[in-house]
Amino acid sequence: MNVSYWTPIWISIKTVLTSTVITFFLGIAAAHWMSRYNGKLKTIIDGIFLIPMVLPPTVVGYWLLMFFGINGVGGKFFDLFNYKIAFTWQATVIAAVIMAFPLMYMTARGAFEQVEPNLQKAARTLGASEWRIFWTVTMPLAWPGVAAATVLALARTLGEFGATMMLAGNIPTKTSTIPIAIYYAINGNDDHRAQVLSLVVMAFSFVSLALVSVWNRRSKRTKGMMISE
Amino acid sequence: MLNAQIKKSFPGFNLDVELSLGLELMVILGPSGSGKTMTLQCIAGLAKPKEGYIELGRQVLFDSSTKINLPPQKRRVGFVFQNYALFPHMTVGENVAYSIRNLPKDESLARVSQLLDMMNISAFDKRYPRQLSAGQQQRVAIARALAPNPEILLLDEPFSALDSQLRERMELELLDLQRECKCSMLLVTHDLAEGYKLGAKVAVYHEGHIAQCGTRQQVFLSPVNRTVARLTGVRNFMDGEICRIEPPYVWVQIAAWGTQLKAVLPSDKELAAGRKVVVGIRPEFIQIAQKESSENVLASRVLQVVEGISNMTYRFAVESDQHEQHLLNVLISKSDDTLLHEDHMCQLYLPPAHLIVIPE
Repeated sequence: MNVSYWTPIWISIKTVLTSTVITFFLGIAAAHWMSRYNGKLKTIIDGIFLIPMVLPPTVVGYWLLMFFGINGVGGKFFDLFNYKIAFTWQATVIAAVIMAFPLMYMTARGAFEQVEPNLQKAARTLGASEWRIFWTVTMPLAWPGVAAATVLALARTLGEFGATMMLAGNIPTKTSTIPIAIYYAINGNDDHRAQVLSLVVMAFSFVSLALVSVWNRRSKRTKGMMISE
Repeated sequence: MLNAQIKKSFPGFNLDVELSLGLELMVILGPSGSGKTMTLQCIAGLAKPKEGYIELGRQVLFDSSTKINLPPQKRRVGFVFQNYALFPHMTVGENVAYSIRNLPKDESLARVSQLLDMMNISAFDKRYPRQLSAGQQQRVAIARALAPNPEILLLDEPFSALDSQLRERMELELLDLQRECKCSMLLVTHDLAEGYKLGAKVAVYHEGHIAQCGTRQQVFLSPVNRTVARLTGVRNFMDGEICRIEPPYVWVQIAAWGTQLKAVLPSDKELAAGRKVVVGIRPEFIQIAQKESSENVLASRVLQVVEGISNMTYRFAVESDQHEQHLLNVLISKSDDTLLHEDHMCQLYLPPAHLIVIPE
């Protein structure tokens, strides 16, 4: 009994941590690149990055399954290495990353675009490489926004249901994250299990929201202090 | 030593300039939107010219014919931004040391303290930019730009955000700094008085072109055309024709007034009798005639009076036979003790030494 309570929690923790780390780096890389890119494809790329946010999660999950399934391009590719993606623990991570990426990307990009461009120009005339400018000027100044984006992405990952269900299914010992376990608990008339897992998620979400609001306050305060004229 | 030839076009605007300066302070003077800041950005590598050639010291920074375009990091150009662009999350010391982190720790510290000393801001080493006044931030920005020993210092309207008292002090300090470090400086401003005070050499910008470039005496005392004269503060223009030349004077017939004006013959311009010219004079050089004089005196009526702190601005209508009303702007110091009121009649004297004769 104990094991089955803890299994979905453990699967969710693994999924959330791994996918948040991946989303974080993918998100800030895409956000930083797009905040400086001004080419013709800007709108199209922006649309592609954001589309998981407006599509129903099951639709995203359907296309992921078509891609990573045994007959999909991705599935066939991984099959060459005798590797399966669909209905494995890795599938929960992929679904979570795809669903959380738009939030991370959008919020982080907003934070990067808020950084006064003259600061980066000044750093350039002072001989700093683009890499150093990113880590010593852009990132520290955008940090409150980037941190808020990370917390939002993390919370989104924790609640992910539709896409995960389609791509990873409900394999109790492998792919059953908390939201999926709750759904199946209710289906199986195990109200107590659903209640416990729901409370765990609520407690976690509450803490996440509190963190975001603290970050927002901090970010406002730092920005207020940054007005130097 | 900077040699730059920059062409850049935008919708509805073309920048096409050529500049050359040695170890001196040159001022780029011009109204907003004339391409001043864009010129600095092109030199620093923050913007890319469409065509041109930029050479600093012995290094070619940009050459469109051989596709050389050094990144700003490699140009050895110091840039002081209009809003200073200090890093808000770093202390004054960290800001100044940003460009010299490759030096050994003690050398970099010594360099920072030397620069802070030079700019009189040693006490603020550990403070953040937001804790400093505008003038102190300005000094930090200059110290930071000088830290890597740039070949040239570019200053983009550096004093525009300062109040007038502080601005005067910073102008003097900048002149001292230039004398001490004997480096090349290129400063952009739209302020005439500032441009004249600071620039041994002045380049007057007009709609993306250099209308005139030379020593400040050449530019301010002997503008090459009406545009330069207007941009350098000449407010009164009279169209005329040269009737005779007797060095060192020239007499110009002003058709609108039916009188002749005597002016000092400019040495650097080709003039001959019959030549159409425009005669200009700054408002502050027109005087109210004290004694009866027959030359360069115009009977005029006061139309408008505006009182300033130390001087009065008058707008006069010159009395003439013609129907057209001709106006003169006059600035008279209050110490002259001649207070005039609207509709007052008086004689204005235009001193020959201050009349600028420009061939058209």
